[in-house]
Amino acid sequence: MLAAVALASSFWFLLDVLGAVSHRAPSFRVADFESRFANFPKPGPENVYGYVSDNRPNDPASLSEFHLTQYTLAPATIKASANEQLVIVNYHGKSLDFNFLRAAHLTPYQDFGNGIALCRPAAARR
Amino acid sequence: MILLSLAAIWLAGFGLVRAMFPRPLRWSLHNVFLFSLAVGTGAGLASCLYFLALLIAGPSLTTLASTLAGAVIVALAFGLVARRRATELSWAEGPPVPKYLLLVFAVSVALALAIFLGAVLFNPHGEEGAWSIWNLRARFLVRAGALWRLAFANNLNWTHLDYPLMLPGLVALCWKLSGESTAAPIAIAFLFTLGTVGVLMCTLAALRGKMEAVLAGTLLFGTASFIALGAALYGDVPLSFYILATLALFCLQDRHPADLRFTALAGLMAGFGAWTRNEGIIFVIAALLARAVALFRAGERSAILPQVLTFLAGAIAPLAVVIVFKLRVAPPSGLLAITPAEIFKHLSDIARWILTAEGLVIMLVNFGRFLIPIALVLGIYWYLVRFKVDARDRTGLATAGIALSLTLAAELLIDILYEPNLQVEISTSFERILAQLWPSALLMFFLASAPLQLAPGSAARKAKTASKSAKAAPPASGPASRKPAEHLQRLN
Repeated sequence: MLAAVALASSFWFLLDVLGAVSHRAPSFRVADFESRFANFPKPGPENVYGYVSDNRPNDPASLSEFHLTQYTLAPATIKASANEQLVIVNYHGKSLDFNFLRAAHLTPYQDFGNGIALCRPAAARR
Repeated sequence: MILLSLAAIWLAGFGLVRAMFPRPLRWSLHNVFLFSLAVGTGAGLASCLYFLALLIAGPSLTTLASTLAGAVIVALAFGLVARRRATELSWAEGPPVPKYLLLVFAVSVALALAIFLGAVLFNPHGEEGAWSIWNLRARFLVRAGALWRLAFANNLNWTHLDYPLMLPGLVALCWKLSGESTAAPIAIAFLFTLGTVGVLMCTLAALRGKMEAVLAGTLLFGTASFIALGAALYGDVPLSFYILATLALFCLQDRHPADLRFTALAGLMAGFGAWTRNEGIIFVIAALLARAVALFRAGERSAILPQVLTFLAGAIAPLAVVIVFKLRVAPPSGLLAITPAEIFKHLSDIARWILTAEGLVIMLVNFGRFLIPIALVLGIYWYLVRFKVDARDRTGLATAGIALSLTLAAELLIDILYEPNLQVEISTSFERILAQLWPSALLMFFLASAPLQLAPGSAARKAKTASKSAKAAPPASGPASRKPAEHLQRLN
């Protein structure tokens, strides 16, 4: 009976796993997120970047994407702030939203595509 | 190359444990047990050496490679030249395992393998808690070069900077030697998951017999959430390995009271557990207290001091590494930021105690994602089989029971006192806390349960077969020829 319950439960769980594998949800897969930084220059330990995203503040993906950015760009330091000399903008539209940048007091520096851009604080240009 | 690095680490572990328990190199329960223990011994040893080499000599590949090579050569040399007489673990007497049960075990292995592979294919970087803590730290250690201490910078305090470095250190060592790839953390997780089942089955095979070993192995392989937790690349399964190995070695110590090497190795395993997760530090203290109390209760007071000192001697090296890490590298734990006033407020908040108790009960019912609550199934098994503890196992069982209870109680108390968002903590970490203790709980359960009897029909069939083969076979005097007669005697 012990063995039967263990086997049946494992089999049931396996179906869940196989279901997850066959219905891939790309937005949260680490490799997919990392591939968005394919054109981003390889950072070193001395690099410090700010980070902003156009996710809504209560979006559960927001924190995970910040963690993924740090994971992808390690050993650079990523700070959840728009006050660094260079700020990574993680956007989800087809192109950078200038209204969003204006609201965040940022000016574009370089767009790497795939929803990743580097910006500078608006004050830094003056 | 990653497989070669891991094989070298495993061999170093095997050399070390074989140096303590040398027996001829052949296919035997003793050597399978040593191979299972070697997973954790090698991993702990390599990780400690990596950290010390990094701290003393910096991230030079030559230094790291030569340190690991030196450790492998020395450990293997010790293991191969050791000639002292050591206790040999052999199969405990018991009825043979029916073929259908072996088949069920094989199916559980296949399902566990499929679950593990499915999960790592879907998530090769592991779950968020794994990549954002353990693997992120490993990336910093490897990629930051001489600035590796950036891994512990304040802006990363969301990664729990005070967590010990066993897993990140081991992954970083593999990456340093053979390049970054998700294969290293996956292979490490696989070895620990497999090693945990190996230690459980070998210990039960030596103490109770094949039947209990196969049943426990089937149940652990069949605990889908435990296998999935291994594949999630968290530190919980490695910690469960070290907790199980420590308690298993204590149980073996009681069967071989004169050979204190079991306790020394138990200390080493507990020490490596402390190097794996902070909960491992709690376990070291719990195990030490539990052993002293269990020996005292059993009236073996003269054994307390030698065993406690031997345990500490075994644990001292990894514990020293943990202390160096905590004092020299890691920032203070986030728990220290909680003020005494907040702690007192949490302590006197009865709702937090009720919430914790409720969460624990719910988790105990739902644990393992079994279709029927496993506590209920084990309860029915106990009702049918009952407990019958061998007098020689009482102290070991008491040690395990007290150590596990103390560890669980301490972990829950820390949550009650320190955790600002208790509800989230309960939903995210209670299952993992139980998973850390689950293999040891299975060891206790099957060590305490009465021996299984074959059904009368099955027994009669086996007896008939054995009698026929005894008549057909020519008389012989070796140990193999005595087996059918022994079985017949037991079955009758």
